[in-house]
Amino acid sequence: MAGPSTASRGAVAGEKRAAPRPRRPYGAYRTALWIYAGLFYAFLYGPLLMIVFLSFNQSEIVGFPFTGFTTHWYGVVFESPALVKALGNSLGVGILAAGIATSLALALAMGFRHPFRGKTIVLYLILVPIIIPGIIGGIVLLIFFGYSGVRSSLYTTVLVAHVNWVLPFAFLTLYPRLHGFDRALEEAAMDLGAPPWKIFTRIVFPIVRPGVLATLLFSFSLSFDEFIRTIFVTGFDRTIPVQFWGLIVDELAPQLPAMAVLIIVISIFSSLIGFVFMGRAARRAATWSGSARRRPERAFATR
Amino acid sequence: MRTTAEPSRAGGRPHSDPEPEPDPSPSPDAGRKARRKESGVRPIGRPIWLLGPGVLWLLVFGLAPLLFMLMMSFWTSTIFGTSPDFQFGNYARVIVTELYRDQLFKTLRIAFMTTAMTLVISYPVAYLLSRLQGMRKALFVLMMFLPFWTSYVIRAFVWLPILGRNGAINNTLLALGIIDQPLDWLLFNEGAVFLGLVYVYTLFMTLPIYLSLEKIDPALIEAATDLGARPAAVFRRVILPLSWPGVLSGCIMVFLLSVSAFVTPQLLGGASGIMYGNVIASQFLANNNWAFGSALSLTLVAIVLVLLLVSSRWIGVQHVFTGGRDS
Repeated sequence: MAGPSTASRGAVAGEKRAAPRPRRPYGAYRTALWIYAGLFYAFLYGPLLMIVFLSFNQSEIVGFPFTGFTTHWYGVVFESPALVKALGNSLGVGILAAGIATSLALALAMGFRHPFRGKTIVLYLILVPIIIPGIIGGIVLLIFFGYSGVRSSLYTTVLVAHVNWVLPFAFLTLYPRLHGFDRALEEAAMDLGAPPWKIFTRIVFPIVRPGVLATLLFSFSLSFDEFIRTIFVTGFDRTIPVQFWGLIVDELAPQLPAMAVLIIVISIFSSLIGFVFMGRAARRAATWSGSARRRPERAFATR
Repeated sequence: MRTTAEPSRAGGRPHSDPEPEPDPSPSPDAGRKARRKESGVRPIGRPIWLLGPGVLWLLVFGLAPLLFMLMMSFWTSTIFGTSPDFQFGNYARVIVTELYRDQLFKTLRIAFMTTAMTLVISYPVAYLLSRLQGMRKALFVLMMFLPFWTSYVIRAFVWLPILGRNGAINNTLLALGIIDQPLDWLLFNEGAVFLGLVYVYTLFMTLPIYLSLEKIDPALIEAATDLGARPAAVFRRVILPLSWPGVLSGCIMVFLLSVSAFVTPQLLGGASGIMYGNVIASQFLANNNWAFGSALSLTLVAIVLVLLLVSSRWIGVQHVFTGGRDS
């Protein structure tokens, strides 16, 4: 989940690596490896492509045989008020959760630039929501809110569950961005008498902005796909994955493949944009980071 | 559990790095060192105001509910509700009752098998990806991510129309005339859960291994080759040891995720394929036995914590969740 950020780094690292690489004397190994990779990607994509295919199946049954081409089920998805409402719920809670988690994480990451006591403990505290298994992350909130008399609803319990889930990832993505960059500009501004808020809005934030945008998008994507914590505290306000789950468990509804395709498209779209921003953040960090100062070639290597 | 970067760094970079870089992992010591070197000026903002909101949120909504559950696990649930009568009976029942013990062992077994299987299928692919260059590498890495950028509910669901009575496999076999009745044993059993978990969690293994392989300096491999090591020896003596942090990180992630799985066994497992997560959930969704459910939940949490504690000998906790990378 923290992955997309790291992959972009990997990709960037791949581009800039100019070091000689080993000869490749093992042609047979390579061929075998490529065939294996082909099977691996077939395993990853086969089932998803099949769902796309099935989403156009006329049959009332989710499955085969393929009785004829139709886009009817997409119509069913869009015309169902419950689904449209669930989409609204997911978008709303996703945007809010991403905003809250990213703001808290940005503040935490800025706090972590200071020396303070108990840093390790605070770090563990931040990691608690991802160390605790998801199902238990949902159940503890069910119990906690149940006993505090808070009724389950979208912008109370579900929002809390989502911020809990997203916050650690937001922190782990933002922290390296804030930690890595060269503080010379900040110090210069300080020497010239700029007040802290101005240093933040004019220097720190512009430098980390792509990282913040990427974090927002990944957070949204994590929230949009969240299921296991949500199901326990969802009340009557269903999100898209909860709605989807209901349709599988209750009746294996024929519009499920179409709905799955739409969810896949939304998730992948938001993550892809995040991925692009992350690449940009990594490049900018390389430009401004201390390592770039010491190794000037790094600042230009990825242009 | 150690949080410093040392454990993973020791494993991740045995070759010394001549230029120490500031370590962007959230480790207290490394952070202080880097700052001292860069400047004496304090960063902007008061720590209390920066940390306050986040810490408060995590204390109230992260830690407090967990402690409340700990307390409740000693309470008593009856058909009239849960009352604060202190007792150890819930934990005794978790351990003594054969049904729950068997479910726990079965769950651990499935999680272990899933971890092993994802490791076996991921390593070669991660290795290949780490050897690629330029655009081709970017493309293949992106292609590895795409399927995982969508809900695991969907990734588990897709196996229903593959393994089911009207599924792709039965349909193909029927059409080819190999069988004349749809096979029922493809779905709703442990095997289907295993397959589903492997499919749903593979990336969490492939990614950290890829990242650790990616970090290996090609010069090391070249040096080993120049010194006459055969490919197998290069792999065993250089590549494999250096990818160990990634392997460890991937194994922990996949094990943690699959030991607490709920969605996949619920959809694909049927009666014989349910796992601990389903047993826990039923205490809250069906039986309304919150006290006992809490004890079951915390047993699972304890397993997770023990695993992280043991592995913290080699890898810092936060590095597990950042894919085992240490820089």
